[in-house]
Amino acid sequence: MAVATLIFWLVILVTATSAIVVVTARNILHAAFSLCLAFLGVAAIYVFLHADFVAAVQLIVYVGGILVLILFAIMFSANVVEDTAEGGRSKLALAAGAAAAVAVFAAIVLLTQRLKDPLAAANVHGADHYQAAVSVAAGQTGIGHLLMGQYLLPFEVVSVLLLAALVGAVVIIRKELKN
Amino acid sequence: MDQANAILAGPDALVNYLLLAGLLFACGVFAMISRRNAVGILMGVELMLNAAGINFVAFARFGHATAGGQQLDGQVMTLFIIVLAAAEAAVALALVLAVFQTHKTISLDDVDEMRM
Repeated sequence: MAVATLIFWLVILVTATSAIVVVTARNILHAAFSLCLAFLGVAAIYVFLHADFVAAVQLIVYVGGILVLILFAIMFSANVVEDTAEGGRSKLALAAGAAAAVAVFAAIVLLTQRLKDPLAAANVHGADHYQAAVSVAAGQTGIGHLLMGQYLLPFEVVSVLLLAALVGAVVIIRKELKN
Repeated sequence: MDQANAILAGPDALVNYLLLAGLLFACGVFAMISRRNAVGILMGVELMLNAAGINFVAFARFGHATAGGQQLDGQVMTLFIIVLAAAEAAVALALVLAVFQTHKTISLDDVDEMRM
């Protein structure tokens, strides 16, 4: 149990640190590689939350898809140096961004503290649910049933939207290439 | 062990996940406001989407149990978020490359032809 706790805090630490590096790194390529670490950390968080299927999808789609796209865009647009150069980000933008980020995080912390009392008072969560280890297969089966049952319409809409987005992306790029 | 304690205390507590998600979201806000590079801003958006996904899965984990077992709606929502993030990234990066073809830069401060 102690090892699991240690790994949990390690994952939290790695995810938080790499997320901060993503937004503070001057070199956009370093930010992209740090983003890879952050995505991996979030996938590990999903495993800790017993959401194995979501963790697998996170790995496949984010690390295998979106991150490769981002790296491709960075290298293709050859703008790596621009953000690295001196004065890449103005002091005003940094200050405004930091102020907004701190405000958002403070609000979330406050809300989380307020959440503690209702949770403790209500004690609505069945101990059997939390303590019981849900088998991986049961979770995957449940997700499959939900996607093919209760969420069938959103599922189909999302698939059409994904198709439309991909066709749209190809159209945008092709038009520019012809010029 | 009392259930409320399991949620509020210990390493595997709901609050820890929410705070991590809050940190990711704040990082995304910072990137969106301060970065000039369009890809950098997109990375911030991806961080924020990840934060939302963590929140959904965390509340699904610690929420009410149903008769059929674990409540999985939150996980399904996160799957939808991931799919939408993929669609968004594809379109956004296509736009970035299109802007680079015409302007030879993706710094959003320099792409301001619509500005009055």
